[in-house]
This record gives sequence, C-alpha cells and structure tokens, in this order.
Amino acid sequence: MTKGDMERQVGQEHRVRADRHPLPEYRAIGRRVRRKDGLEKASGYAVYTSDVQLPGMLHMRVLTCPYPHARIETMDTARAQALPGVRAILRYDDPELPEKADLSGHFGQAGQPHEPVLDRCGYWQGMPMGIAIAADTEEVAREALKLVEIVWEQRPFNLDPVEALKAGAPLTNPESQPSGNFILPFMHEKKVTHGDIEKGFKEADRTIEFTMRRDQDTWVGPERPCGVFRWNGDYPEAWLKHQRPHLAKRQIADYFKVGVSQVTVHCLYQGASFGGWSQMGLNMQPNIIAGILAKRTGRPVRWQFTRREDFCGAGMDNARYHVRVGFKNNGEITAIHATSWFSREGLSHTDHFVENSKIINIVQESNGAICNIFTGWAIRCEQNMNCYCFSAVMNHVAEALKMDPVELALINDGCEGHAMADITGWKTERGFKDRDSLRECLEAGKKAMDWDKKWHLPGAGKLANGRMHGLGMSWAHEWGDSGGSAAIAIRIERDDGTARVLGMRCDNGVCAETAYCQIAADELGFRYEDVQYRPFEEAGFTPMTPDSSTNLAVNGWAVRNAARQLKKKILEVATMPRITERPEMGYIPPFEGYKPEDLDIKESVVYVKKDPSKRLTMAGLVRPAFFMGKMDVGSTEPLFAYGWQNQQGAYDIKGPPGPRPIFVRQAHFVEVEVDPETGGIEVTRVVNANDVGKAVNPDAVEGQQYGGSVMGVSRARTEEVVYCPRTGVVLNGNLIDYRINTMLDCGPIGTRIIETGMGYGPYGSVGVGEDVASVVPFAFYAAVHNAVGKWVDLPATPDKVLKALGKI
Amino acid sequence: MKPGYLCPYCEASFEAHETLKAHVVARHGTEPLPRPQGLINLTVNGGKYEFEVEPNVTLYTLIHDRMGLTGVKMFCDRGACGSCTVILDGRPVLSCMTLAIECDGTSIETAEGIAAKGHPLIEAYVTHHAMQCGYCTPGFVVTAKALLDRNPDPTEEEIREALSGNLCRCGTYPQHPLAVTEAARRLQGGSK
Repeated sequence: MTKGDMERQVGQEHRVRADRHPLPEYRAIGRRVRRKDGLEKASGYAVYTSDVQLPGMLHMRVLTCPYPHARIETMDTARAQALPGVRAILRYDDPELPEKADLSGHFGQAGQPHEPVLDRCGYWQGMPMGIAIAADTEEVAREALKLVEIVWEQRPFNLDPVEALKAGAPLTNPESQPSGNFILPFMHEKKVTHGDIEKGFKEADRTIEFTMRRDQDTWVGPERPCGVFRWNGDYPEAWLKHQRPHLAKRQIADYFKVGVSQVTVHCLYQGASFGGWSQMGLNMQPNIIAGILAKRTGRPVRWQFTRREDFCGAGMDNARYHVRVGFKNNGEITAIHATSWFSREGLSHTDHFVENSKIINIVQESNGAICNIFTGWAIRCEQNMNCYCFSAVMNHVAEALKMDPVELALINDGCEGHAMADITGWKTERGFKDRDSLRECLEAGKKAMDWDKKWHLPGAGKLANGRMHGLGMSWAHEWGDSGGSAAIAIRIERDDGTARVLGMRCDNGVCAETAYCQIAADELGFRYEDVQYRPFEEAGFTPMTPDSSTNLAVNGWAVRNAARQLKKKILEVATMPRITERPEMGYIPPFEGYKPEDLDIKESVVYVKKDPSKRLTMAGLVRPAFFMGKMDVGSTEPLFAYGWQNQQGAYDIKGPPGPRPIFVRQAHFVEVEVDPETGGIEVTRVVNANDVGKAVNPDAVEGQQYGGSVMGVSRARTEEVVYCPRTGVVLNGNLIDYRINTMLDCGPIGTRIIETGMGYGPYGSVGVGEDVASVVPFAFYAAVHNAVGKWVDLPATPDKVLKALGKI
Repeated sequence: MKPGYLCPYCEASFEAHETLKAHVVARHGTEPLPRPQGLINLTVNGGKYEFEVEPNVTLYTLIHDRMGLTGVKMFCDRGACGSCTVILDGRPVLSCMTLAIECDGTSIETAEGIAAKGHPLIEAYVTHHAMQCGYCTPGFVVTAKALLDRNPDPTEEEIREALSGNLCRCGTYPQHPLAVTEAARRLQGGSK
C-alpha cells in the first residue's frame, strides 16, 4: 500500500473533519432500495443462534440466584446426578475452575462480582451461579436443577442507590467490596467541573432546584441470550448471541488457553441487540461453562436463558437526580449543578450540556453504589442519563420562564460553551457548510406537529373530551458518528464480476448490511444489485456491528475505503499487462493502451471516459482476467481489497474546542392526552426530526425513527422492572406484566429527515439508531408535564399521574 | 423425521403406520392394529407428515426443533408475543401454547409455506421494510395472512387490531399496515 493509499484509508484528519472526498453522484446511496435481508427474514428462513441444532447436542441450564443476595452453604447434587438423561454437572467447587476468570466483554470491568465462572455467592436475583447441568433435553436439565438440594444463607440486600450509600447499609458484595458500597462512576471522575459555577449562579437572574428519578428498565431483546459450544479436537467452535462476538472470541481463547486462530465463532442474525448484557461478561459466562461441559462430554452444548431470567438483566437507568440551575430572564442558562445517585456504572449526566449547548458553568457530581440488582449496562443507550438531565433542565427552565421550550432551545444551542452563531468558523475549518442544524430540525418538527398552533402553557390544555392535552419537545445532538474500529474487505466474483463485501455478520436490525452494499455499489460504480453482503459468519474481518453503536460512521468508512482500493485494482486489470503463472499465455488487457485514470465504471460497466462506446461489462472483464480464455482458474491474483477505519471517539473531548465538536442535532415532539380520572396517558402523535447528515438508506433511517419512538414511548410510559421491597426479587419478569408497546399503544409517528452533511461519517453522515429511543422518553416527560402541569417521574404510570394530580 | 414401524408378525419395516396397518390385514389376516399413542398426522405447508409425540410436546417444538422450520420463533415463551404464530385450520394460533398431540388431523401453515406460495405479503414486507432484526417478522406475516384470508380488504384499524397481539421490540409497527394494505391490493389484482 502506498502512502497515498494509506492516506485514503481516512487518517486522523478525516476523523475530526468533514468528508473531503464525497462522490460527485449518488445512485444507490440515498435511494430506497430492496433490503438485502428482507426475503430471508419475512419468509422465516433467516437463522438465529437460538435456531441452531447440532447432532448429539446437549442442553444446559445454569442455576440463577433466586434471591437478591445469598450464599450457598451446602449443595447436594446426588439426586440430580441420578436423573436419567443428565450427562454432566459442573459445580462452583469444581477443581478445574479457576478462582477468578475474565469473562468481561467490554472494557475489562475490573471489580465486577461475576468474575468466578460459577460463584458460590449470588449478588442479585437472576445471577448465574453455583451449578450448571447438561442433559439430553432442556426439560431434563431443568428438572435436574430442581433436584439439587441447596441450603442457602440469605443475606441483607440493597436495591436503592441512595439507601445503599447511607451509614449502616448492608454490604452489597462483602467478598469483593468489604469496605462499602460506593463505586466510582464509569469513565469519569466523581466530580467534574466546567467553568466557574459560583460565577455562573451570580450571573443568573433566577435559580431553580428540582429532583427526579428514573427506575429500572430493561432491554427485552426478542432473542433471549443463548449460545452453542462444540469442540472439534483442539478447536473450539461457538455460536453466540452476542453483541461483540469478536471480543468473545478472544475471551474463549484466553479461557481455554488456545490461540485465537484456533477458535471459530459464528455470528448469525441477531434477534436485536440494544446493549445490556448481550455485550458483556454475564452473557459469556454460560458460553464458557458450555465450553467446559462440551469438552467433558464430547458433545455440543446449548444454553439459553428463560425470559424470566433475561428480565433480571436490567439496564443502567436506575438513578436519582438533584439539579440546581441558574438562568437569566432572557432564557440563557448560566449555571448547572447536577448531582446523581446511581446504581452501578453511572455514565455522565451532564456531557450533553458540554456537547450541545453554550452553557459554560457546569458541575457534575456522581454518587455510585453497587446494589443487589443486575450489574447494569447501557441499553439503547449510554446517553440516557445525559438525555434525561438535559431535557429536564431545558424544560424546567422553560416552565419557570413561561417560555416556549423551542425558543429556549435556540437560545442555548451551542457547542462546548460557545453559542452556535459564534462558531461558524469551527464548521468551515472542518470542511462543513455552515448550517443551523437545530433550527432546521425544530422548524421541520414544529411544522409537522403544528406546534405553534397547539402549544400552550403547562396545565392549560383542556380538551372537549375532558382530557388534558400536552405537547412536549426534547432535543440533543446526534452522536452516532464516532467511536469504534472496523475492517471490511470486498472481492470480485471470478465468474460474473459481481462484488461481495466480506465481513462478520453484522445484522441486528438496523439494515446496515444493505447500507454497506449501497456504499460499495456507488464507490465501485456497480449496480446495487451486483453487490452483496454475504458474510462469512466467523468473526474475522470485524465490523463495528453487531456492536450496533455508530456502525455506519465506522463501517461505512471501512467499506468505502475498501471499495476505492478495489476500484483502483479493477482499472489496473483493465489496462495493464499482468504477470501470470503461465507467461507464455500472456494477458492482453481489454483496454490496452489506456491508463487506469482514463477509465471509469458505471452501472457495472467499465468504459473509456472520453469515448464511452469503448466499454466492457464487469463480467466481460473478469473472465479474461481470470480464465485467460481457458479453464485456468487462479492464474492471476484475485480482485480483492480491504479497508479499515478507526473512528475518533465521542468521549475524548478535552475542552473547547474539542477534537470533534458536534454540529448535527435532533428534535422530537410528543403529543399526549391524559385522562384525569384514570391517570392513563394516550400518545396521540410523535414527530421525529433528525439531522442525519446524509441519509445513505432513507428507509433504514425512518425505521430507526419509528422504532426509537415506539421504544421511547414504551419506556417512558410503562416500562419498569419492579422489585419486591421485602424479598428483593423481580415481580414482573415476563412480557405480560412488564408492558412493552404494542401496535395500538403509540399514535402516528411522523418522520422528518434533515441532511446538512455535518456528520463525521462518510458523505457527512451520522447514525440515528441509538438516539431516538434515548431522547423521545424525555419529550414524553415534557408532554405529560405540559398536560397536567406537574412533573411526573418516568415511567409515568397512571398511579404516578393521579398522585401528581392529588387524586390519590 | 418419520419413525419406522415394524410388523409384529414378520418384522417387515414400514415408514408409515397406515401402510403397516394395511400390511398386517392383507398379509397376516389380522384386525387393523390400534393406533399407537402419541401418533399424529399433520399437513404442514401442504405436505403430509406423521409424528409420534409425547403429550407435553408443544406445536412450536415440533415445528421448530423437529421439522427445522425456523419461521416460528420463541420470544416471550408464554403466549404473550405472537412470534410463534402459525395458521391452524385457518386460525392464527400460538404454537408455544398449543400441544402438538391436540393437532392430529389439522392443517398448519407457517411463514415458509406462505413464502413458498408466492403470497404478496412477503414482497410487501420486504418493500416496506416492515422488519428490523427480523426475529418477530414471520409471526407478523403469518398473523397478517390469517387476517387477509378472512378479510381480504381490511382497514388500517382492522390491521392494527389484528396485529396488536404481535410484539416487535424494534418498533416496526408503523410499517406493517402499509405492507398488509399493499398485499391486499395485490391479491385483489391491483398493481403496486
């Protein structure tokens, strides 16, 4: 690879500035194309990990802790062992098991309590622990588990982070954290300060304080966590429902002390991955156990959580907040002091003020506690705490000033402490056009919602049907254009000149593989129909997905880079004599006498730019190139190229101006009707306005807007994992009692796509998958307030609404 | 998939129990053999099948695990999500809540069968992106097919009502009525 080629692999400068080499013409990109996975999925032929069946396969069940905090005092497995059909049992005290093992799938997660492969202690209800049983059928394994006689030591537990931090609170995990329940937040310090908070409050005309809380919700992925493990001699082979299969491969190699190249990991279609434990160690724990039992029995071993067990894998939104805000009478916010109490990771709750406002003076304090609930991990997505805090501040200030929140948004929009109007230079220096993304989103959304006509002061919207009417708005930047690495290759089929993008299966629903084909088609000059993403399932070339986050901005670059390399090779083949294994046969290039730069490709046809009548289809080109006119397969090198991308992370902001100030925005609008008698909330309309920079696949963008809205409304209105305060166990661990939205639970959703080209992804794009579901709940939060005139914590269940109205 | 049946008199092997019965009557002059417990006959996507099933085997397990038809999916595992829906004698039923042994003599249709017949629902679902991860999609297609079978020209409200028992965590709901409406139009001879 030449230095120029290397530079084309989108080096550092591209990660922090606009796409400098977009295409002059888009043919597949931006078009509504037939999705590549559509027929397979609609007809039932798409295969997921949970569909895998292998000859001789055993079924494994792992004990999950029935209490929030308990230790096995004694365990007798004799009766289970004697049950016909039981083939192997693995106990926590098995001599083969190491005391600790790194089962984490993300960043190591030092200090997490699940490090033993099978712990003797359970630190939350649902934690896999103690014993695993492999049997001929799942029913036998389940029955055998019931026959295991365990004497439990039940321990006191913590469910609430505020209570867990009080003096005298029981220890959540006395084994790994005997000194107390306090933990530092993930990825930032306990106290983070920007600017001068005291000065900010002095500059304020008014100050308000408020508290809010968000209780636990969870992911409810349709395909429950599962896996199949088999040994082929020295070679482990695993089928994983996992969001980071390439990291899981490394873990398997590490645990079983084999080379990574000995491990085969299959990643099939993923029955959704919204984060949660589909990406972390707790998912890998049963896979490793299955690997141990597969080795002992010489048979493949399959495992899968039950839906109830899956419900114990909750998210990270369990937090309480106290916020103090200073602002001027004109709406300018001058100071924010936000304190949170959270269980587990606790990502930042004030980053969004830095990233997309002109607010300078910010203090964030984070009080983390480990509690006896699931370890907690981001579920679509880690920005939830940020979105909640940001939206709450904006809407509380708007309420205090009796100001339209749309107006307040435009007053405070900015970037890293600067007003948007003052940083047009930042945009142009980085190669972007100077467009006002938030204003464009707000105008599109307002128009779709008929906001100016419908909006009213909180509590003032009474409808003829007796209900209370509310409109809410929330906004943020788009963040799906950063953070990750990817490697992807493309090769040309020898027989017909079509292209095949090679990468790990990276489908969990965001239509990414189709988008990659659109990019490859336009970059190569091929027809969209002539490009396929036919993945090899094994985790080899590793795109950012199925990690999901920011996949387009990372993988899109990698596809584009590979395609540009490949196109160069194709044109070289078309014009240059080549060295072959049989020189006597020679090779006369079809465009002899021309240089590669004299040619181009369009609609899968190579042609001379100055004389398009001189043309050759790709099929015509590759046949002589590879077959030499005879059956001489392989006599010349394959037409193959690879590309990669390391995309600058979003979390590396070092202070204004950071390496990648974010200019693209999104705004979401929710309309509700609240029944004052029942407290029920009907969502009558949702409008999403997303500046996605460049919509590579408009259908996929709309799909994410629809899906994010449905999930966002669902999380805001009904979703909460309810724990029994007395026993600490989950009370609603099923899809009947934990209510996710059905088709009847969300009103019409209007989608608006804005394309300012100000994303850091290829062609100015930015991803949309994570953010809608993260922001919409807080537009709902504002809409409910606008209806009832009171703030109602999420989920805004009818009992909370009635309580806010003073009716109960 | 089809168990072998041995003649108790001459140990001749037969693939189907009906064939064995005919054999013992013709060759050995006996009365027809009693039907073995757990033997069921099913028509699945137009094909005739015979299975021996334990009483606790669900229709989902039979179709998914034994027949290898992956269009039925297990999402909720207790009759709350519709992902395992099949059409049983014209009615959409949840195969995870249906015992296989109770389905003797019935006709069953899955997403694979609907696709094999070239039903316009499939292409309409592809065209309208009425899917994301796709795990629940076959269940929607089957439920929609059952709707169109009994109501060839449903309103949007009727479509939403019919599909409201199917859960989609990806939130593809707005796209389904578009797909079903287009399929209905195509079935009635209209163009796209």
